[in-house]
Amino acid sequence: MNNSRLHLYSKFLTAATLVLIAAGGLVTSTRSGLSVPDWPLSYGKLFPPMIGGIRFEHTHRVIAGLVGVLTLVLMIALLKTEKRPWLKGLGVAAFGAVIAQAVLGGLTVKYLLPAPISVLHACLAQSFFALMASVALFTSREWLGEKPILSENAASLRRLVLATSGFVFLQLFLGAVARHSANRASVGIHIAVAFLIVLHALLTYLKISREKTILGRLDRHAALFGLLALIQIFLGFGSFVFTRMLEKTEAPRLGAVLFTTAHQTLGALILGLVVLLTIRIFRLYQKPL
Amino acid sequence: MKKKVYFSAAFLTLLIAAVPASAATLGGKIAFEGRPPAIEKVKTDADPKCKMAHPDGLASDQVIVNPNGTLKNVFVYVKSGLEGKAFEAPKEPVVFDQKGCQYSPKVFGIQVNQPLEIVNSDDTLHNVHSLPTQSQAFNLGMPIKGMKLKKTFTKPEVMVKIKCEVHPWMSAWAGVLDHPFFGVSNEEGQFEIKNLPPGQYVIEAWHEKYGSQTQSVTVTDKDAETAFTFKAA
Repeated sequence: MNNSRLHLYSKFLTAATLVLIAAGGLVTSTRSGLSVPDWPLSYGKLFPPMIGGIRFEHTHRVIAGLVGVLTLVLMIALLKTEKRPWLKGLGVAAFGAVIAQAVLGGLTVKYLLPAPISVLHACLAQSFFALMASVALFTSREWLGEKPILSENAASLRRLVLATSGFVFLQLFLGAVARHSANRASVGIHIAVAFLIVLHALLTYLKISREKTILGRLDRHAALFGLLALIQIFLGFGSFVFTRMLEKTEAPRLGAVLFTTAHQTLGALILGLVVLLTIRIFRLYQKPL
Repeated sequence: MKKKVYFSAAFLTLLIAAVPASAATLGGKIAFEGRPPAIEKVKTDADPKCKMAHPDGLASDQVIVNPNGTLKNVFVYVKSGLEGKAFEAPKEPVVFDQKGCQYSPKVFGIQVNQPLEIVNSDDTLHNVHSLPTQSQAFNLGMPIKGMKLKKTFTKPEVMVKIKCEVHPWMSAWAGVLDHPFFGVSNEEGQFEIKNLPPGQYVIEAWHEKYGSQTQSVTVTDKDAETAFTFKAA
């Protein structure tokens, strides 16, 4: 596979991972996580009857299997064609992460959704998405061709996006704890960190737009991050109303399913965006000696 | 010969100790005050077999107010007053069925280590997931009609939720006790706790939506009555 094909393939895998995350979100939101009591087979079969909660759980398993195979192909392609050893290493790490994620998924079924395993499963899913997006960047024309520029603001810009990335990762963890456990404190902190992230997105955008030379449309990248962070607050509010304020019903409400799944999936997208933004800023803006 | 007499005497003593000198039935009614909540219709489209059983949807069984103004599915049991006494778990199982994509019974009592026979009478697939905090939880697949499984709870717990994740509207509650003195209110709102030895007890009535209430009751060797009233939220 040449670099442009590898880049295209990585982008496809990144998109497939986002679909997988949305499918996983639907499993949690529809409370279908234990609708299939066995693993890795489903009711002893490869294809059980697709009824009720099984539709969500088994679809999630099938997409996960496909992403696993796609990641294996990516790893082999990187090992065969890539010259940069660290990128080969990332390919191996990605496949390792897929295996670990599958084992965690199996443990959630076997041990009836223990909160620490479910939280880890959720965090690893989104981190894997960010990793796939990064591989797509590393195989892109920008990464291979764009020359970095020297900027007086490079150091402060790097510090800012690094802190923002840290907050987004913390937010992912808090969101997963709020979703998979009865911990109430995590919800309050999750809400507070959300506003901090929006503030950071604004600061990042302003700082980049003040640069004399804006490389790789980084201002648009930062603006998109800010816009998605704002939409995420709206989705978070909707999720809060449906899951914390309204009375819990026997079968989950459609609104709760849609809001929480969208909130979780957009969270993954934001994480991917901020990780890419951080890597690109580190790459494109360098401190003068 | 002497040995035989000793054994017979010991056996007789044990028999007398095991059967209370006198026992009564504690009965009563669970009244409901206020406007009953609107009956929520659950869509069963997620499974064609369930949809066929309930083409117009399924009425939620969380709150059932009987026509005579009483409340069904209230678990009534002796909360305290039996300390220091041991009761052997019955060998016969409590039968817990999945029929018409609903659990039957919705609320039931069971003794610690008494077998729970879980039956699937439906021509569709169910999973049975118990959520105790004291005993070992289980999540079992029951894909075949007529399939039976047996499980036990090893520690007392009021109440243990049981649910089906394939059909999220299906839920039931088990009151797990280390004694046999419990009952569940029926279509007339009545309950009975049988063979209760004379004594002073705290009786608790539990409902899934309306919580629990307690009463102190003195039981003699004659049948007794008590009543609870739950109010609309």
